[in-house]
Amino acid sequence: MKTRTGIIGATLAMALGSASPGQEALEQLSDRLNFHSRDGSMQLRLSGTIELEGYAISDPVADLVSGSADKFFNPRFGLYLDAQVGTRGYFFAQGRVDRGFDPYYPDKQTEARLDEYALRMELSEPGAGRLFLQLGKFATVVGNWTKRHAAWDNPFITAPLPYGNLTGVWDVFPVPSVDVLLAWAHVSPVGSAPAVLADKEFRLPVIWGPAYAQGVAVAGKWGRFEYAGELKAVGLSARPDRWGEGFSTMERPTMSARLGWRPGPSWNLGFSASTGEYLDRSDHPRIPTGLSRHDYRQTVLAHDLSYAWHHFQFWGEVYAARFEVPRVADVDTLAYYLEAKYRFTPQLSGAMRWNQQWFGEVTNQAGESRPAGRQTWRVDVAPTYRLTTQVQVKLQYSLQHDRPSRERYTQSLSAQLTVRF
Amino acid sequence: MKITGHHTLLLAAGLLAATAGGWAATIEGRVKLPKRETTTVVNKRYEIVSRGGVVSTNPPVAVVYLEGDFPPAKAEPMARVEQKDLMFVPQLLVVQTGTKVEFPNLDDTFHNIFSYSPAKRFDLGRYRTNEKPVPAVMFDTPGVVVLRCEIHEHMRGVILVLATPRFTVTDTEGRYRLEGLPAGTYRLKTWLDSQTTLERTVQLAADTSLRLDLP
Repeated sequence: MKTRTGIIGATLAMALGSASPGQEALEQLSDRLNFHSRDGSMQLRLSGTIELEGYAISDPVADLVSGSADKFFNPRFGLYLDAQVGTRGYFFAQGRVDRGFDPYYPDKQTEARLDEYALRMELSEPGAGRLFLQLGKFATVVGNWTKRHAAWDNPFITAPLPYGNLTGVWDVFPVPSVDVLLAWAHVSPVGSAPAVLADKEFRLPVIWGPAYAQGVAVAGKWGRFEYAGELKAVGLSARPDRWGEGFSTMERPTMSARLGWRPGPSWNLGFSASTGEYLDRSDHPRIPTGLSRHDYRQTVLAHDLSYAWHHFQFWGEVYAARFEVPRVADVDTLAYYLEAKYRFTPQLSGAMRWNQQWFGEVTNQAGESRPAGRQTWRVDVAPTYRLTTQVQVKLQYSLQHDRPSRERYTQSLSAQLTVRF
Repeated sequence: MKITGHHTLLLAAGLLAATAGGWAATIEGRVKLPKRETTTVVNKRYEIVSRGGVVSTNPPVAVVYLEGDFPPAKAEPMARVEQKDLMFVPQLLVVQTGTKVEFPNLDDTFHNIFSYSPAKRFDLGRYRTNEKPVPAVMFDTPGVVVLRCEIHEHMRGVILVLATPRFTVTDTEGRYRLEGLPAGTYRLKTWLDSQTTLERTVQLAADTSLRLDLP
């Protein structure tokens, strides 16, 4: 407790100090973390964030937040490198020190990871349509949430429902039957809170956060259209500890693409598609004879939209996903969210998000049809106050409804202090 | 760190007799400028189709101004800071209190200009190219206003709001010249950056020219 209070106190003191000097110090630090080669052909910039999060949650805890305690503290330190190489090359990397990519219960060990690293080259000549090639480990091109998922830019603390709500599909075992699927989804029997928490590490969402998987991407712009395609070693739903897996001749990559259209500066519309495998790379002895894990595929179609005008911003995405389970049933789900943000004063803004997810019905051997997952809605409300240009405080309240569920409503309250330099 | 120095300069007393409100005086000289000039890499991690790579601040310049008893401006002064090629143009603007500054967007993407500076807190929200009316802000409190863009974090500009109409910006060699000054006693200030302002007192007689290198 003393350590936690000390970290928060030290961070606040550093960030605010006597307000202005603290701000000046952070800005000076930011300016001093710029480096360049002697001939100026390479420029480097280091920057960072300190994120202190606190969660108060009711059982069962929703999404990718995993906590055995009803209140817990989640600190995170991020270090970023941006490098310009000549006029066409750009390299970036993100390293983090925390207790796991997703907020985790306090007894998990602190770890350091390299979450992102990628080299981007511009292939096009000036004046023509733009064309870029990117190699490394980086966020997916699918959808529009990844562009604002970083703590400073995200109006919320947690991800939208499609990026975190867990289905009944596992990546460590193929679904053997509809009854097992319904049990894994906690639909039948209706799972207790401890049961929902216990198998969280096996279940998959439609898309796991920003999906920083290894791969190669091509992206470009032509007039009002933007396009991007990527080949990744693992699928959109792959958990973070698989994002570092590379390509191999034994594996089939996941292919994803997005086509965007900007009719004007205010609007941005996009259509995305992705197909790839969702089972992990272990042997999977339970796969029926005649099938391989390459037959267990996830296909995603998505539409995203954003709008901005003066102090108002709006985003929305809808995801239709299918997890193929050969000889059992396909798990179909539709998830969407609508998110709005308004800046009330230069430093105070508020955001509200409505999320919903449905599952298609599956039929067991007894002829009973049930949805393949819990029908869920969630509303998130989050005010953000920027104390300075380097420090912001965010609160989030979420109310979630699941059906069927023993606890029809779950709530969470979270707070996040972000200091950047 | 604020460096202030109070030095009184008495101009040649044996100048030609000057009538009150008579011939104008001039101060000119050279300011020793700091060597700082920063470059930074633009963060474009999540915009694969991006532009801009490395941006540099303009070479350092200083602002030299006189504080004294000057009559207020007769008309509301106007000025502008453009956003062009994802930069503020100019990066440093000096205005008198009561000046309305327009912020036209000349890029083909949104900008969102804001400031949290105590001298003026504002947020213009997202606005596009050739937005009408042009977003504008009245600056009525002296001080340093640091401009930023919510969308493009590398963009940074400064508006120095002064309670005097007598100011000039040096060239990149530090040279300055204030002319058409009425005779009198003034505080001559040299603003180098948000942390450094030099100050001294000068007495000006009519129709004189004072050479003063700073600091």
